[in-house]
Amino acid sequence: MTPRGLVVDSLELRAPERVPRQLWTLPWAGLTWPAELAAIRRRFPDDIVWSPSFLREPLRTTGREYVPGTFIDEWGCRFESVQAGIIGEVKNPLIRSWEDLGAVRVPRERLSVDVDEVDRFCGESDAFVLSPTIVRPFELIQFLRGPENLYVDLAERPDGLFRLIETVHAFYKEEMELWASTAVDGLNFADDWGGQRSLLIAPGLWREIFKPLYRDYAGIAHRHGKYAFMHSDGHIAVILPDLVEIGIDALNAQLFTMDIEEIGERYAGQITFWGEIDRQHLLPYGTPGDIERAVRKVRQALWREGGVIAQCEFGIGARPENVAAVFEAWDTP
Amino acid sequence: MLKEMQEALIAGKKPEIESLVDRALAAGTPAETILNEGLIPGMERLGVQFKNNEVFIPEVLVAARAMNAGLAKLEPHLARAGVKPRGVVVIGTIKGDLHDIGKNLVAMMLRGNGYKIVDLGVDVAPEKYVEAAKANGAGVIALSALLTTTMVQMRAVVEAVGKAGLDIPVAIGGAPVTRDYADQIGARGYAPDAASAVEEISRIIAAR
Repeated sequence: MTPRGLVVDSLELRAPERVPRQLWTLPWAGLTWPAELAAIRRRFPDDIVWSPSFLREPLRTTGREYVPGTFIDEWGCRFESVQAGIIGEVKNPLIRSWEDLGAVRVPRERLSVDVDEVDRFCGESDAFVLSPTIVRPFELIQFLRGPENLYVDLAERPDGLFRLIETVHAFYKEEMELWASTAVDGLNFADDWGGQRSLLIAPGLWREIFKPLYRDYAGIAHRHGKYAFMHSDGHIAVILPDLVEIGIDALNAQLFTMDIEEIGERYAGQITFWGEIDRQHLLPYGTPGDIERAVRKVRQALWREGGVIAQCEFGIGARPENVAAVFEAWDTP
Repeated sequence: MLKEMQEALIAGKKPEIESLVDRALAAGTPAETILNEGLIPGMERLGVQFKNNEVFIPEVLVAARAMNAGLAKLEPHLARAGVKPRGVVVIGTIKGDLHDIGKNLVAMMLRGNGYKIVDLGVDVAPEKYVEAAKANGAGVIALSALLTTTMVQMRAVVEAVGKAGLDIPVAIGGAPVTRDYADQIGARGYAPDAASAVEEISRIIAAR
């Protein structure tokens, strides 16, 4: 069984011979634990990989994303960072008033993908390949508008907000269509919708404004025979039925902010849980024993002859022995 | 009119709040009464709704903006009448951390509940909290962190406060922070969300 086959069997609930896995890392992990990270990667190779972007035109960015200082991304968002290995924060948004909307530069160079190269990469890999798309409408409009301005906009609903969403969404659809035309196995998109104990905005507002965007992305994936992979941080239990309904195939969520048993009772077998194991508390502060118990809990609640991908993030503060313990536990039936 | 003010505040109707405050002042209602029986109960009700997931960040932000507009009108009258804030809170995001929306929400809700806020911003070194707390006669120092790597700086603030010989409680909050962690580092207050932060800080200040 190839790694790709394991992932597909888990997505289709066809009892793969082992739980497929994927380790996410933040640059912090490589800077802090280089040897340990390399050892984990050798011992537990990923079954899911990201295709390189294979852009013919370089992105027009300035500075470096994960080093202290200023980084300007391809949309013109200016990030300030004070810690190595951690992405910065936008402190001076591009769109201070709606007259600034014209200052948004859509980074069309992201569409200069060498499709032949992507197809060659996918053909040579036996892993399940995901698009490297950074499709994140809510997060991007926060960067462009500034988080507080955006939240006020969501309460007041000015026309400019909807023009901005439409600009971003039209580009993202184009980007998703492009990647859907390649040989990747799945399309990836993301947005962090949860706080620590609830959604960040009213569920009704989310359903009205944002759910249709993700429905479009999932639809593009499915029309092209691809799987739809989505990530959201935070407590998002209230929108899980919506994500199931719009056809998200695999969801990366912070399960440990929510009631995992209840999630299992309601949604196991209807959507694949693409991780994770608690990166806020267990991975940095727990023991390998705690990790083993956490994996057992997730398996018991969510595994239905598939429906789980053993994913975790080696991120800020995580202990390497705990990251290794995640995959050891998943490999132990 | 004070009840109407509460409703307008919860709905985030800034022009209506401004108009109601003007009318109440013109009718001879003392500024302190407008604050304590109009605006603050409105913010308290909103805090409960936020805690119960009945309203979310957008609604809190527009209400806070309306509150600030009302306070701006009341402040000269409160100062003339010698009305003191319920307490002074020095607040900031911890050193190494630039995330501020959580901290800003807490600051807005505290301000809306009658506290004077000294907001030090983000990436704040321990000694800055100490200096500001001394200079402003703070009743509480409130710390926010989003990252597991930066929350360790909270201990440094607690230690700096102790080293400076100040008996000022430190309260902490932020995504990775827990009550256990607060206990471990000697922080006397902890809140899992902005509405609870107001309750926790009010409890600490009342107990002093």
